[in-house]
Amino acid sequence: MRHITVNIQDELKIIGTYKPMPRPGFSFPGSPKYNTPITPKENTFRFLKGEGLWAPSGADFVTLCPKIIPDNIARAFVIDAEPFNNADNGGGLDMFGVEWEYVPQAGGSMVRPGSPLKIPDILQWEKYITFPNLDDYDWAESAKINAPYIADGRITMIWILNGLFERLISFVEFENAALALIDDEEKEAVHRLFDKLCDFYDDYITRLHKYYQADAIYFHDDWGSQRAPFFSLGTVREMLVPYLKRVCDSAHKNNMFVDFHSCGKIEPLVPAMIEAGVDVWSGQPMNDRLQVLKQYGDKIKLNFGPTAMFGATEDQVVAETSAFLEEYGPYIRSITVSTGFGGGGKMYEMVYAYSREAFSK
Amino acid sequence: MSKVQEIAAAVENGKVKIVAGLVEEALAEGVSPSEILNVGMIDAMSSVGEKFKNNEIFVPEMLIAARAMKKGIEVLTPKLKAEGAEPIGKLIIGTVAGDLHDIGKNLVAMMIEGAGFEVIDLGVDVPADKFIEAMKENPDVKVVALSALLTTTMPALKDTVDAIVTSGLRDTVKIMIGGAPVTQAFADEIGADGYSEDAASAAVLAKSLL
Repeated sequence: MRHITVNIQDELKIIGTYKPMPRPGFSFPGSPKYNTPITPKENTFRFLKGEGLWAPSGADFVTLCPKIIPDNIARAFVIDAEPFNNADNGGGLDMFGVEWEYVPQAGGSMVRPGSPLKIPDILQWEKYITFPNLDDYDWAESAKINAPYIADGRITMIWILNGLFERLISFVEFENAALALIDDEEKEAVHRLFDKLCDFYDDYITRLHKYYQADAIYFHDDWGSQRAPFFSLGTVREMLVPYLKRVCDSAHKNNMFVDFHSCGKIEPLVPAMIEAGVDVWSGQPMNDRLQVLKQYGDKIKLNFGPTAMFGATEDQVVAETSAFLEEYGPYIRSITVSTGFGGGGKMYEMVYAYSREAFSK
Repeated sequence: MSKVQEIAAAVENGKVKIVAGLVEEALAEGVSPSEILNVGMIDAMSSVGEKFKNNEIFVPEMLIAARAMKKGIEVLTPKLKAEGAEPIGKLIIGTVAGDLHDIGKNLVAMMIEGAGFEVIDLGVDVPADKFIEAMKENPDVKVVALSALLTTTMPALKDTVDAIVTSGLRDTVKIMIGGAPVTQAFADEIGADGYSEDAASAAVLAKSLL
């Protein structure tokens, strides 16, 4: 086996700073730009094929949640060059006319339980839903405003906050949505809705790539609670996989990858994600990540990282990153390492050095 | 299979369309409303809860079983009233102030109802005063169940328990709490009588608190 000599210290020289996206209410320094032999973007795509030089982590990514997308305002998750204070201005109508309410205690928005349902009868959802016309949004202007912050050699990742099941929940509330996935009469209507949503997501994703040169979508669809999946693997395969696959296909045909953000203890559903073509799963810590990495690490990447976040001292960062690398290091070829929004610094450097060394062997 | 067993199987398997008819047939055959309720409904939902707890079934299957049970209860309620049957207890449930999450709370309410309780659901974002008001309006309430999904709303669980103590009604009820960040240790710390980690266990806990 060939061992390539690399000068990691030289590669970790900071040669600049990426322009930080404005985040009113938060203090985010610009991510450092390192002297890496290839760009973070090139490396990440190589990494996804098993050919990366290092494990991609925080500073390799820039997140964009364009303000022109009403969902991002409704969900209080705008990250855009045009400053927007989510806590003060988040909430309101999403792209489908569903009303969201910003909840300070949650730091995000919800549809208030008990609100009139957007779709009172799932069997006739066509009567109640108007699909957004994406031509209504000023993509070109938004792309121009955001251009200085994105597509700069890092991975530009754009969030799509309401995935398929989450979108269905927003229309009919959770219990009706869950029931509709197994009710023989309602399933057909759900298939029709998801099919139409996939057409919509295809157009949406294609525009994200066209206007922002997006490299990845961060597709939100929670599939479980803290103790178990919401639904069986069989239900997911029947009702969600065909459509999640179409979303993944839309991303892939635009040379983008899919980071699937799905909360809950849903490790039994990982095979469904793989079947759909998900590239990376951002899951929560209650899952047995080691087991998932052992069993499926050659088929899907996991996105997670050390727990030290903003405000941690360097000693804490070093301790937690060391612990992370000790536990998960053997599977580092299957992990995109989350180090917080735009996180560079010691954590990035430790992950870089560890994985660079490991991958050069 | 007896008619009551048929009802239980239909409830357990979420056969929404046939449960009401089966209950009517059982009544016509002379089966007592209480037996239909206890064996055909409550035992069936207890089995559903156990399977849910063990991840043999999931949320949709539990919801559809509850929906099937409701269809049966609609037929059964007037007969039960005529028979003088009472719920095993009355319980107030709600998600505490500042918290809009209702999924877990609704599943718990459904399973507790399935265990034979009369449930008064105050909804979400419920201030402590509203719990106390509901307790005063329903002096026969035996259990108060409080839910919080967020770490940021966990203090509201304590505030609500404290307010119930201050109101002088603490000795009249048992208090149970639940929600993603909640633990038994937290329940002990704030002076609640019980904690459960899932909807099925909540129904068992509520019965044990009577």
